[in-house]
Amino acid sequence: MQRGFYFDQSRCTGCYACEIACRDWHDIQDTSVRWRRVTATEQGSYPDVQLSYISLSCLHCAHPACRAACPADAIHKRESDGSMLVDADTCLGADACGACRAACPYNVPQFGPGPDAKMQMCTMCHDRLEEGKSPVCVAACPMRALDCGAMEELQKKYAECGAARGFSYSPQTCPSIIIKPRYE
Amino acid sequence: MSDPAGSETVHITSCPHDCGGRCVLKVHVRDGVVRRIETDDGEEPQLRACVRGRAYRQRLYAEDRIRTPLRRTGKRGQGAFEPVSWEAALDAVAERMLDIRQRCGNEAIMYIAYSGNTGTFLHSQLGVFRLLTLFGGFTPCWGSASFWGSLFSSEATYGTLAAGHTPDDILNAKLILMWGWNPAETVQKTNTAWYLARAREKGANIVAIDPRFTDSAAAFARDWIPIRPGTDTAMLIAMAHVMITENLYDRAFVETYTSGFEQFKDYVLGTSDGTSKTPAWAASITGVDEKRISALARLYAATKPAKLLTLGAPGRSAFGEQFHRAAATLAAMTGNIGIYGGEPAGFGLAPVGLKPEAGTGLIARRMPGNLPEGARQRKAIHITKLWDAILTGKGGGYGADYTMAYITNANPVNQFMNSNRAAEALSSLEFVVVHEQVLTATARYADIVLPVNTHLERNDIIRPWQGGHYCVYLKKVVESQHESKSDLDICRLLAPRLGIDAYGDMNDEDWLREFWQEARGMTHGEELPDYDAFKQMGLHRMPRQAPAIAFEHLAAEKPFNTPSGKIEIYSSTIAARNDAELPPIPTWIEPWEGPQAAGAGEYPLQLISTHSKRRIHSNMHTVGWLRDLEPHTVWINPLDAAARGIVNGARVRVFNDRGAVLIEARVTGRIMPGVVSMGQGAWYQPDENGVDRGGCVNVLLKDTHSPAGAFCSNTCLVEITKEP
Repeated sequence: MQRGFYFDQSRCTGCYACEIACRDWHDIQDTSVRWRRVTATEQGSYPDVQLSYISLSCLHCAHPACRAACPADAIHKRESDGSMLVDADTCLGADACGACRAACPYNVPQFGPGPDAKMQMCTMCHDRLEEGKSPVCVAACPMRALDCGAMEELQKKYAECGAARGFSYSPQTCPSIIIKPRYE
Repeated sequence: MSDPAGSETVHITSCPHDCGGRCVLKVHVRDGVVRRIETDDGEEPQLRACVRGRAYRQRLYAEDRIRTPLRRTGKRGQGAFEPVSWEAALDAVAERMLDIRQRCGNEAIMYIAYSGNTGTFLHSQLGVFRLLTLFGGFTPCWGSASFWGSLFSSEATYGTLAAGHTPDDILNAKLILMWGWNPAETVQKTNTAWYLARAREKGANIVAIDPRFTDSAAAFARDWIPIRPGTDTAMLIAMAHVMITENLYDRAFVETYTSGFEQFKDYVLGTSDGTSKTPAWAASITGVDEKRISALARLYAATKPAKLLTLGAPGRSAFGEQFHRAAATLAAMTGNIGIYGGEPAGFGLAPVGLKPEAGTGLIARRMPGNLPEGARQRKAIHITKLWDAILTGKGGGYGADYTMAYITNANPVNQFMNSNRAAEALSSLEFVVVHEQVLTATARYADIVLPVNTHLERNDIIRPWQGGHYCVYLKKVVESQHESKSDLDICRLLAPRLGIDAYGDMNDEDWLREFWQEARGMTHGEELPDYDAFKQMGLHRMPRQAPAIAFEHLAAEKPFNTPSGKIEIYSSTIAARNDAELPPIPTWIEPWEGPQAAGAGEYPLQLISTHSKRRIHSNMHTVGWLRDLEPHTVWINPLDAAARGIVNGARVRVFNDRGAVLIEARVTGRIMPGVVSMGQGAWYQPDENGVDRGGCVNVLLKDTHSPAGAFCSNTCLVEITKEP
C-alpha cells in the first residue's frame, strides 16, 4: 500500500495554516527548515492576473530519488504504507553529503543550520496516523483542501491530475500526490 | 497544572483577538508547559483555527514578553526601561494619579482602550474602565477603526446591528458580490472562506469589486472589477440608476418595506441636483468601465438570492458611511432582505446565540458613578483626534488640558492615524501608563509598563462577536508567565492605593459564574448549560437547523426598529442632525485625498491599508514563525513602479507631508495602477530623522474621521521613490 496526499489547489487561499500547524506539531522552531511549505505563483499582467498557491511536503514517492542517492542508506520507505523515514543517526549530514537534496526534484530534504545538520522532512505524521488521526496539515486546513490516504482510494475519490501551477509530475519518482489545479 | 508529572492534558480554548473569526484551539499541556496546539476535530462544521492561532505557542513563550513591571529611564519612545517590583510600580502609578487628579481634575486623565480583547466576558478594557470610574471619572475615547461607517449606517437604515447572516447561508446564494471584502485573510466569521469555496463549486457566481486582486478574489471570484479606492459609493449609485431606468428593481419590496425611495430616486436621476448618476458618470469617478457597471447592476437585479457582502474597508474612507447606506439601499432594491441566500449589506451581526449584551456588557453595567451617558458622549474624544486633543487641549476646543494617558488593550501609536503626531503627543504628557504583553510602539512611550498575561493564563468566556451557534470557555491552561498579571488583577491591586474600597470584592471565578448565569437569559432562545458543565466541555455548540438570517420575520408589524418602522433609505435620524456633509439619502461626495486630488497634486498615488494574514492588526507582528512567512511590503503596479525606476524587492520610501516609511516594494499586477497598499500593523520604528523603518502605515494617514465618525484609513495620498 502506498499512502499519499491530495491537494485541492482550487480551494487553497495561501493561508499557511498547514505549514505552521506542521511546525508546531513537530516543534520545528527554525524557520529555515520547512517540512511543508506554501508558495505562490502569479501569472499574467494587470488586469488579467492569475494567482495560485501550492502546499507541498515530502511527496513520499513510489520510487524516491533521495533514497537511491543516499550513500549511507539513511532513507527508508515504510513497508506498511510507503511513507518515508529518515535515520538521522546514519545520515552523513549537509556538508559531508547532501546527495538527497541534489537528487530530489521537489527540493524536499531539509537541513537546519550547522555543518553537521542531518536531513529531516515530512514524516506524514506517522505518530498521528498510528492513533487514527490524519496528518496535522490535513486536520489544520481551514479550506479542507488537503487529504491523506491510500493512493488507490484517493484516486477513486478524486479525479487524478498530474500538473498544476508550481508543480510538475515526475514520472521517474512517481510522487504520491493528487492535485486538483486552480487553472486548466 | 494539577495534572500528574509527565502526563499530557488537552484543553479546549479559543483566541480573544480582534479578528473576524472565533475558532477552536486544543492546547496540549505537559508539566505546566504548552507543547502543541491543535484545532477543532469534532463534528463538521469544525471551527478550524487560522495560522495565527496555530502559532500561539510562540506568542505565549515569546522572547519579547515583558517579564516584570518597567520604569522608563530614557527619553519617551527610546525604549530604555529598568525592571521594578510590582510594589514600586503600583505605588508610582497611584502616587502620580492622585497628584494629577488633585492638580488637574479627573478629566485630565485620558483612558485609551481598544480591542485587544474582543467578545470576552471578563478580561477586557472594561475592568480598567470600572477602576477609573470609581476613581472619579476620566476622559474616554470613542469610535471604531474597523467599521464605524457600517455601524452607523446599519443603525440608521435598519435600526439594528443584527443585520447579518451566519456564513453557512453563503451556500444558499446564487450571486455573491465581494465588495472590498477579503475573508480569506481577515477570517470574517470562522469558516466563511470554506463556504465561499463550496458556493463556487456549487455554481454560484462570485464577483470581487476591489482595488486589489486579493486571495479571496483569486480563490473564489469569476470576475474581478478593480475600482479606485473611495469611489465605491458612486458605482453603487450608478447601479441604482440602471435598475431604476431599466425598471429592474423589486418595486413591491421597495414599496412595502422602505421609506424615502422617491427622494433617492430624484437624486439618482438628477431631478434634485441636475446630475444624472449614469454609469458614464460613475465610470469617470471610479475608473470602472460603464458597460461593466451596467452589467453588474443587471446581474445583481436578475439573480436571486444574491449577497452583497462587505465589512469595513470601503467604508473606512472619507465619507464611508455613504458606501454602507448605498449598499443597503441596493440590497433593498433587489429584495435581498429577510431571505435565505440574500444579505442586507448592513452590519454583519447574525441574530443567533449569545447577544452582544452578554459578555462585556455585564461588567459595564456594574460601573456605579460613571458619567451620565450624554455627558460621556460629549466629553469622549474620537480615536482619530486623541493626538490633537492632547496637543491642543482646551485651546483646541477639547474638554480639558490632558496631562495623563492610561492605555490598555490597545496600541494606538501604531494603530490610530498619524503615528508621528502620536509620538509627539504622548511625549508631551506628564505621565503615561501602559498595560502590555510585549513592548509595542505605544509601550515605548510609557513611564510605567505593567506586564499583562495572555488568555492562556487566565479563565474567561467568549462569544463570536458577530453572532454564532457556539461559545467557548477560555480556560487558563498555564500559570502566568514571568511576573505578568491580568488587567483585572492589576486593577484589584491599584484600587486600594487609589482609595477605592469597592473594587476587589469578587474573584474571577465568581464574576464568571455570575455573568454566565445572567448570559443564559441573553440568547435568541437557545438554551445554555450551567456554568460547571460549560466550563467542563469548553466548547458549547447550539443545535442548528438552518442558517440564522436577519429580518426573517418581515411579516411582523414593525420588522425594522427605525422611526418609520421601515428600511430608511431616507433616514429621519440622519436628517435630524442637519449636517450638510451627512445627507439623509445615500449620496456620492468627493473625498479629500481621493482620485481627483491625486491627479492634481504632488502625491499622485492612492494608499490603502489592508489586513495582513500573518498578524491580527499589530498583534503577533514579532512572532518569528509568522514573520518569516512573507515579507512586509508595499504593493505597487508595474506601470507605477516602472515610472519610478522601482523593481520588485527594491527598498523604497513611501511619504507625504505627515511622514515617511522605508519598506520593500512588491511590484505586482494584483493592484490597479494609481493605487498602492500596505498591510497595517507592522511596528512603528522611527529612526533619528523621524523616518519609520518598521513599515507602519499609520505614519502616513491623516488623523481625522468621516462626518459620521468612520476611520478613513483608505483615504490617503502618497508618493513613492526608490531609495539609493
